[in-house]
Amino acid sequence: MSGLRSFLARRLLLGALQTVAVVLLVFALTEALPGDAAVALAGDQPDPARIAAIRETMHLDRPTHERLADWATGLLHGDLGTSLTSGRPVGQYIADGFGPTLLLATLTVALLVPIGFGLGVLAARHEGRLADRLISSATLAVYAVPEFALGVLLVTVLALQLGWLPPTAVGYGTDLLGHPAALVLPVLVLLSRPVCSLSRLVRAGMIDALASPYVAQARRYGISGTRIRYAHALPNALAPAAQQLARTIDWLLCGVIVVEALYVIPGLGTVLLNAVAERDVPVVQGLAVVFGVLTVVLNLGADLVAHGLAPRAGAAA
Amino acid sequence: MNHADDTTAQVGDTTAAPVAEIRNLRVEVGGRAIVDGVSLKVLPGKVTALVGASGSGKTTTGLALLGEYPPGAHVAGDVRLAADGLVGYIPQHPAAALNPARRVSALLTDIARPQVRHLPRGRRRTAARERVLHALAQAQLPDAEVLLRRYPHQLSGGQQQRVVLAQALLLGAQAIVADEPTTGQDALTKSRIVDQLAAVAAHGIAVVLLSHDMDVVRALADEVSVMRAGRVVESGPAQRLLLAPRHEWTRELLREQPEFTKIGSATGTGRPVLRIRDLTAHHRNTTGGTTEVLRLTELDLRAGESLAVVGRSGSGKTTLARCLAGLHRDHDGEILIDGTPLPRSLRDRTRTQLAAVQYVFQDPRAAFDEHRPVLHQVARTAIRLRGTETSAATQEALATLTGLDLPEHLVRRRPWQLSGGELQRAALARTLLARPRVLICDEITSGLDAITRRGILGVLTTLLHDRDDLSLLLITHDLETASLAHRIAVLDTGELIEQGPAQQVLTAPGHPFTVSLTETATRLRAQTGA
Amino acid sequence: MTKPWTARFALGISVVAVPLVLALLGPLLVGEPGARTASFTVGDGHWLGTDFVGRDVWQQVLHGGRPVVLTALAATTLSYLVALPVGLVGALTHRRWLEELLMRPLDVLLAVPSLLLILLAATVLSPGPVGLALLVALVNVPDAARLVRAAATEAAARPAVEALRMQGETWWSMAVGYVGRSMLRTLAADAGTRLTGVLYLVATAAFLGVGVAPDAADWAVMVDRNRTGLSVQPWAVAVPALLIVALTMGTNLLFDAALANNRRSDRGRGRGTKLPDATRTAHNPAGSEARP
Repeated sequence: MSGLRSFLARRLLLGALQTVAVVLLVFALTEALPGDAAVALAGDQPDPARIAAIRETMHLDRPTHERLADWATGLLHGDLGTSLTSGRPVGQYIADGFGPTLLLATLTVALLVPIGFGLGVLAARHEGRLADRLISSATLAVYAVPEFALGVLLVTVLALQLGWLPPTAVGYGTDLLGHPAALVLPVLVLLSRPVCSLSRLVRAGMIDALASPYVAQARRYGISGTRIRYAHALPNALAPAAQQLARTIDWLLCGVIVVEALYVIPGLGTVLLNAVAERDVPVVQGLAVVFGVLTVVLNLGADLVAHGLAPRAGAAA
Repeated sequence: MNHADDTTAQVGDTTAAPVAEIRNLRVEVGGRAIVDGVSLKVLPGKVTALVGASGSGKTTTGLALLGEYPPGAHVAGDVRLAADGLVGYIPQHPAAALNPARRVSALLTDIARPQVRHLPRGRRRTAARERVLHALAQAQLPDAEVLLRRYPHQLSGGQQQRVVLAQALLLGAQAIVADEPTTGQDALTKSRIVDQLAAVAAHGIAVVLLSHDMDVVRALADEVSVMRAGRVVESGPAQRLLLAPRHEWTRELLREQPEFTKIGSATGTGRPVLRIRDLTAHHRNTTGGTTEVLRLTELDLRAGESLAVVGRSGSGKTTLARCLAGLHRDHDGEILIDGTPLPRSLRDRTRTQLAAVQYVFQDPRAAFDEHRPVLHQVARTAIRLRGTETSAATQEALATLTGLDLPEHLVRRRPWQLSGGELQRAALARTLLARPRVLICDEITSGLDAITRRGILGVLTTLLHDRDDLSLLLITHDLETASLAHRIAVLDTGELIEQGPAQQVLTAPGHPFTVSLTETATRLRAQTGA
Repeated sequence: MTKPWTARFALGISVVAVPLVLALLGPLLVGEPGARTASFTVGDGHWLGTDFVGRDVWQQVLHGGRPVVLTALAATTLSYLVALPVGLVGALTHRRWLEELLMRPLDVLLAVPSLLLILLAATVLSPGPVGLALLVALVNVPDAARLVRAAATEAAARPAVEALRMQGETWWSMAVGYVGRSMLRTLAADAGTRLTGVLYLVATAAFLGVGVAPDAADWAVMVDRNRTGLSVQPWAVAVPALLIVALTMGTNLLFDAALANNRRSDRGRGRGTKLPDATRTAHNPAGSEARP
């Protein structure tokens, strides 16, 4: 079908444009620095040697387009530059932080899908009754709450007052799998918002579908309730849910940064926050490119899945 | 609610036992009876028609056979079904009854599955599939294997309707309720649907036809019940009821359309107001390119004349109307009004040019701003296009509206408080205030029931009679409406295939396509009874 | 029938009332700042104890809501100030290039995670509260503009607009008088979810140290800075955290109740029985509930 192919082509083109835009945006960062970039970056320690070192590392004496070309070629070869503060390659920073972040993200997504769909279907099955009212109210209430506020409250109660779980991951380093108890609170907090949004969406989609003329037709012709729910109504709730999963990536990223800061987990979020605090521009840029491209790719994937699930929704992208 | 299965066969009937029977049904919603004292007998192999304007309670009665009632309804009376009591339903919009996220095969297979449960596990799948294919063949759907793998949106409207019919046949329904199956369809499609339902009845299945389309009722029905405001006002065998109606309302429904114009008057004598030369129009398609949807070398509209443009859906007739009105910019060629070319887009037309060509939309409800009173919206035409003072414009609007039987208290309301027919008349008034030279009416009666339609067509006749500087362009798929015009132009797949005086085109069509159009229409009208 | 949503309104209002009143009136109620004492103490004339630099926690709580609420309100307003004209022009212009020029860059911006964008900008700009409001507004513009455009495109494609054009109405009276008016409902619904999302971003950014001084009186900053003393003096963290939870939760509950009420009145307005299905799909409740 030419429809699918042109959708694919358009979506891939948009993805490529977004990637280029992320790279340009990140590069534009150094250009946005007021006055002499090297002086600005040196910040609290404006000694001439350090300023010269920064100028040297970032090639600030060369014209903009040359630096952009250099940086972009470097990116293509996997060279993300060197840190201003430590002189270590940025790639190494990312390699160090990658493990814990990947672990957190994988665990969260693996739990998010069954819990989100389960709660959504459960609420839709009991629409208007107690189970639905409980689930709907809880998801509505929790989904607006920032992770850090929820996180510290959980630490206060579960870790400090009750002593059930360790309050932070301090001392475990990157070996988090060896201390599963330390992972419970971070994953719980990371799940809080996406689970709510996903389950609300699944519930709304299911209820819409259950009230539709095509489900009425299936009921009329004696199809069993279970079969109607899972084989006829649920597929209609899948496409919007898949699209929501893509949007969830944005939240997960925000969440990961906050949760790593909160529970002192040495992942990419912590690396990023430290670099921001130290104004270590090459590290921030490298991480931003990695995060940005990852988001673009995952969004692209989710859109394609959603398109496969609902062939008619293609125009929405 | 008494929706009981009646297993004992009906005795004392001369004909076959009814498949379903409704006795003294009363359905009340919020204290208002939408169906009151309705009784109905549905016989196998016969077509029972429930006739009435929209809102007369047809659908509520039809759905009662399926044991379905509006939410919160209070139901009294009896609905009895024969032994197996399976009833199928073909809704007005078949597309809505098909699951957009599942292939066509999904529900069909689910319906077939319980029917093959007695077979050994290994043979169930093939047996179910055979049954599905058989039902599709019965519903006259070729290429069933390919079709089953399609999604509903990949099917044509006719295929969708036949898939829904196949569901009912597969179920083994003894009765099938068809809700307004021909509303808004052109003559060829209508005739196809009529054939299909006749074939269903020929299989011994009872058909309950809910319709306000008297042509289809004439062609199909064995028994007719006429409904008005929730009550059956008259019922009986189709033959008797259609030929010798007893109730005044039935006579009203059956009355022929009034003669629109006197034959021979004005036609051919006036000078052309609107001339179209070498018009081609394009649509943007999904892949970003354009498709040509209309090619017209020459078409004229003379002063005081009415011209009907007929064709099936997709023939380009609406595109033509929208090009003339300036609503479809993507076209080449010349449109001249009184010898001067009209700019392609509305935005580039002067007030005089805007006023000269006015357009009435198919769906009047969508064409009004729901937030403002109707009167105010009608008056705006005079204010904007003719520079009239607000108070004078309001007076003029009121006069025009009352002239169209819309009293002042009604037009001071918001659009959603008016009926479809009332709004369509208000829409006409809105364009008339521009004092147009050319009035384009795009299928303006297709959503309306017979009586309201007749009212609107009557208004058009009077208009043409009273204002000799007005020319009318009627876009329609309905040959009966077209026959009221002076001249008819026939469009097929974007080409003008025939034009001439109405009488000539209808009685002695020159082009094979026109022949087939007129033939099916006559056939529809001729097939009275079974 | 009216009872359930009245109850939901009441719940929303009661949850949001405490933090909102504290945020708006707190700075008026607060007394003279006392002398600083030891950090993380409990009691001793400070009924919520002292914070990480020995200030009275209650006084900080009274001061700390205003920046969160005001920044969020300012950012929401700002994002609409940009999104409304961009979206409306994008929808109503018939110049294809103008539409592309306005909307395409936003599509691209939409791909960058919002917090990442804020952190990036914070690295080089070290923004203050005003800068933070601008940044949060900026990351909200793409989504808001797309929503405005979608709503306006839908309204502008109705025959009613074509009828207005046939009547020779001006662009302005169509854009503002009809399209704008038809969009009000959608916009009101969106404003609620957007404010909730903006509150989230503002608080989270402040927690991460963007746009605030390290010792600012701000609930989010208090949560961050007082975490070190969590085991000795939990009140300095728990009270501001609870207030933030109540503020965001209450706002969301309140707007959801208002939305449900809106939907109900929509349905109550009997516009004839046989409406085309388009009216149902156009008002998709899931769409408005699921946005961050």
